[in-house]
Amino acid sequence: IQDDHKLSTSELEEKYGTSINKGLSSARAAEILARDGPNSLTPPKATPEIVKFLKQMVGGFSILLWIGAVFSWISFGIQLAQGAESPFDNLYLGVVLALVVILTGIFAYYQEAKSTNIMASFSKMIPQQALVIRDAEKKELPAEQLVVGDIVEIKGGDRIPADIRLIFTQGCKVDNSSLTGESEPQSRSCDFTHENPLETRNIAFYSTTCVEGTATGIVINTGDRTIIGRIASLASGVGNEKTPIAIEIEHFVYLVAGVAISIGVLFFIISVSMRYKILDSIIFLIGIIVANVPEGLLATVTVSLSLTAKRMAKKNCLVKNLEAVETLGSTSIICSDKTGTLTQNRMTVAHLWFDNQIYSADTSEDQTTQPFDQSSPSWTALSKILTLCNRAEFRPGQENLPIMKRVVVGDASETALLKFAEVILGDVMNIRARNKKVAEIPFNSTNKFQLSIHETEDPNDKRFLLVMKGAPERILERCSTIMINGKEEPLDSEKAEAFQTAYMELGGMGERVLGFCHLYLPENEFPDTYSFDTDSTNFPTSNLCFVGLLSMIDPPRSTVPDAVSKCRSAGIKVIMVTGDHPITAKAIAKSVGIVSATSETVEDIAKRLNIPDEQVNRQEATAAVVNGMELKDMSLQQLDEILCNHSEIVFARTSPQQKLVIVEGCQRQGAVVAVTGDGVNDSPALKKADIGIAMGIAGSDAAKNAADMVLLDDNFASIVTGVEEGRLIFDNLKKTIAYTLTKNIAELCPFLIYIIASIPMPIGTITILFIDLGTDIIPSVALAYEKAESDIMNRRPRNKRKDRLVNEQLAVYSYLQIGIMQSVGAFVTYFTVYAEQGFLPSTLLGVRVDWENNAINDFEDSYGQEWTKYQRMYLQWTGYTAFFVSITIQQVADLIIRKTRRNSIFQQGLFRNKVIWVGIFSQIGIALILTYGLGHVTALNFTPLRFQYWFVAVPFAILIWVYDEVRKLFIRRYPGSWWDKNMYY
Amino acid sequence: GLILLFYLVFYGFLAALFTFTMWVMLQTLSNDIPKYRDRISSPGLMISPKPDTALEFYFNKSDARSYAEYVSTLRKFLESYDDSKQSQNINCTRGRIFDQNDVAVKKACRFNLSELGQCSGKEDKTFGYSKGTPCVLVKMNRIIGLKPEGEPRIYCTSKEEGMVEINYFPPEGLIDLMYFPYYGKSLHAHYLQPLVAVQLAVNSNSTKEEIAIECKILGSPNLKNEDDRDKFLGRIAFKVQMTE
Repeated sequence: IQDDHKLSTSELEEKYGTSINKGLSSARAAEILARDGPNSLTPPKATPEIVKFLKQMVGGFSILLWIGAVFSWISFGIQLAQGAESPFDNLYLGVVLALVVILTGIFAYYQEAKSTNIMASFSKMIPQQALVIRDAEKKELPAEQLVVGDIVEIKGGDRIPADIRLIFTQGCKVDNSSLTGESEPQSRSCDFTHENPLETRNIAFYSTTCVEGTATGIVINTGDRTIIGRIASLASGVGNEKTPIAIEIEHFVYLVAGVAISIGVLFFIISVSMRYKILDSIIFLIGIIVANVPEGLLATVTVSLSLTAKRMAKKNCLVKNLEAVETLGSTSIICSDKTGTLTQNRMTVAHLWFDNQIYSADTSEDQTTQPFDQSSPSWTALSKILTLCNRAEFRPGQENLPIMKRVVVGDASETALLKFAEVILGDVMNIRARNKKVAEIPFNSTNKFQLSIHETEDPNDKRFLLVMKGAPERILERCSTIMINGKEEPLDSEKAEAFQTAYMELGGMGERVLGFCHLYLPENEFPDTYSFDTDSTNFPTSNLCFVGLLSMIDPPRSTVPDAVSKCRSAGIKVIMVTGDHPITAKAIAKSVGIVSATSETVEDIAKRLNIPDEQVNRQEATAAVVNGMELKDMSLQQLDEILCNHSEIVFARTSPQQKLVIVEGCQRQGAVVAVTGDGVNDSPALKKADIGIAMGIAGSDAAKNAADMVLLDDNFASIVTGVEEGRLIFDNLKKTIAYTLTKNIAELCPFLIYIIASIPMPIGTITILFIDLGTDIIPSVALAYEKAESDIMNRRPRNKRKDRLVNEQLAVYSYLQIGIMQSVGAFVTYFTVYAEQGFLPSTLLGVRVDWENNAINDFEDSYGQEWTKYQRMYLQWTGYTAFFVSITIQQVADLIIRKTRRNSIFQQGLFRNKVIWVGIFSQIGIALILTYGLGHVTALNFTPLRFQYWFVAVPFAILIWVYDEVRKLFIRRYPGSWWDKNMYY
Repeated sequence: GLILLFYLVFYGFLAALFTFTMWVMLQTLSNDIPKYRDRISSPGLMISPKPDTALEFYFNKSDARSYAEYVSTLRKFLESYDDSKQSQNINCTRGRIFDQNDVAVKKACRFNLSELGQCSGKEDKTFGYSKGTPCVLVKMNRIIGLKPEGEPRIYCTSKEEGMVEINYFPPEGLIDLMYFPYYGKSLHAHYLQPLVAVQLAVNSNSTKEEIAIECKILGSPNLKNEDDRDKFLGRIAFKVQMTE
């Protein structure tokens, strides 16, 4: 830890070899720059592109396919050495398998790169400039070139370019919110005020902003050595956890690979013990692997995720990491910021108090009128004060913009008042011009009021009007009367009591309250030539007439309460984490529904029952407001207890570092945690969260870098649409996988039966690839467009340990039921083709060796005819084509049944998802092209097929549909039954 | 327990369904002729004996054991052509297609072994192998309903000229049209397909050389013999190597 804040100016000059007046010499600066490197945060280490690419080549099923390819090449080598007749088949198969891996790898890499590029546009920063003294001259330099020992000057509005020890200040205030989360500006001076460099006033930190005043200082840390730099590097230290969907896909890959390898090895052993040649057994093994691996599936999943990502981008959720699309869907806790995310991030008048009554103002984003009662003369008086006693002004040239969107010069509360007045009265600037200001005392922190004196617009009234606003209690002190219904009445204790009650009530709502009063100066004492002197205050500032109170708040966005209640019904806990005051935080939490109207905190209960906090039964309190100070002293167990016991939690006055602690606490409960954040200091929490959500407008680059998702409109409600999309894609991926897995059995069975029953090969390896990567691709993507079956926002988030993407039921139902039905249908077609050409099923059993013997060219069929080898091969390819066509036809039925998992297809609507039909037509179209268009290309093993064979499997396709409808009917009829448990996936 | 029962019923049902649809499908088939014959529009050629090693004959004419297998194969093959087995067969009109479409019981035409001359195995029990004039029987694949046009005959050539002299039985390798058409195993049970014997007289100075022979069907426009992909369609190639 440095002690620069303790050193005197001359000691600093000595330490850094610099001079306060002349600065560093350019040569020296260049030297230091070469030593320390540029003054910028090192972006997190990116994985080299080639590594990313290679990862795609070996991830997922690729290893299995590589094994298949290598086996193919080995058997090619052996066959070549043995001088067999057609060894090149295996060479080609190996090449095709390798191509499949490489192409799907390139595809996945491309998809990944595309979504990364979206983010790259964010990190393009406008280079920051800094005013530096070097070689005794003031220079504008890019902030990157600053070095330790540089003398820099900063002024209000600047971002602090490095960690700076201040040596000269004038009214300097900095906003440290990006470091500490404290949004109140803090004053800076040259004095050493605290042992801790983080607390002392004479250091300004990199990336914070100077709000007002000017300062000069010596750069003491640059780049990654700054405080922020250290926090940012903390973020890169936080491990990037695997996303839930990545875990699910991994689980699924293991499952399928396990099935593939165990069946492959089992049948390798069987075929060896059945006296097949080792070489043949290896070729069977390749076939089994190819049949078992859904080659196209991972690419399909990527496409489905990126489709959802696109849809979400339209709804202002920009997803950086494709897998994060689903993570949002499984989110069970959202830790949300308050300012800007839940609220509009602008002060707005929320309540008024005049005539002994509280009125509510409209705080929505696009107010054009204010509905409260404006007939009282008291309101007329109050409106005059808030119009006149206000220094804020609209920037010129915005007349056509809606009032709420206009840019204002002035502080937050004056802006609020100006806009409020403009909405109700219209053209405030004109009113001010008609009531000319003759004197003014601006607001300062000692007197806590603001005062101005105006001529009145009524030409007959020559009196001056004195208007004043400020802290309510200070204003009331200066008043002797109070205006009720336009009449001045003496301010007795009863009226003062009413004021107190209103003030407490508004303050209790977390609102910032201002008091307003006025006085018409008597014409005889203050003639229109009177010269007001604000220094000597030659006019009365007491015995004024109190007019009313106005309270302001940064109001919640209007879409947020609805979004929060949606989260609740979706079983997602929303936790507010803010640097703001507990009272304001709680008020906002209440108004958006994070703390529901009926629930109470421990303190609330204590207050209601009038007992000390300690005696309250903590189980009764559903809500909790935890102060950052309390959090600091809490043990992990206590934090867990709070997170566990309370369903509605607000963390107030928390530092960004504590956010990390809260996130970790939530994750200890087994929750999938989403975190929103915007500051640099949020980046560790964003990274630690299962899904980090950065704000697109207010967010810093570091936050966007650490996040998985960017909210383009900074709006909490967008997260909810994201959750909905995420849940939908999880359901739909389930359907896609179920669809894809089914036909694997229909591809696998031929091999098994071929080995065991020695029939002619029913389907070729290449043909299988044409199903997996041809006919099936578009339909499986089409399932990503399926609408939700029921209100997915009405169920709890999935339990990541129990609700797997691919569960036992899904695998069993697809493999052992629908898959077997498909196999039966395809085998019927296969046997039909052979029988109608002269080979009855009985003849086919056990013929494999002779059938495949090249020397046998008078192979006798069931009718006494004799076939040459090539004639048999051609028939075998016809069999492949028939088997292929049958699988395709039954996959159409499979596609239709996969539209829903519980509802009847007729409830879901057969035609609602048009893309499914695109899928079906593409499927049949591709099959038609393959059989009739490419039927003459020998290498592909397709032959033009008699038209009627397309329909042999149709009854089985219908059976699949009917069976699945029955399954769903029983699931709906008997929830929780044996059937439901075993058949619902 | 329940799950096993379920699958028992489920698979039982599927098996029954499979059996039923197969049965229905088989009911639509005729016992006599296959529904489609488009995959075998033209017949392939095959020879007997057929050596195990991909159509290559290796033997020593002075070593009876070296060709014993060929001889026994030929003998076995010709058994069905024995006169005693052909008692029901009739003598048909030579040179004409023997159409029997209207007849319920299809007759088979007699194929006299004597037509195979020296290769009939009557005079020379070793089919010429012991004399260095091995016989190879060439037959055309049976195809139901096939009616050759023109005058089909088998014609063989040797790539290496002058190494071998080729004789045909019946003369010129003719295949008589009266043996066509074939009506299938069930209707035409006694059918015997016509044979052509090819006798190779290997030149004495060409022994120990590998002689490549190719036989083709000629003289019939509807029997293909030049297919690129199917090397056995209307033709057959084999090798003979004889030592002394």
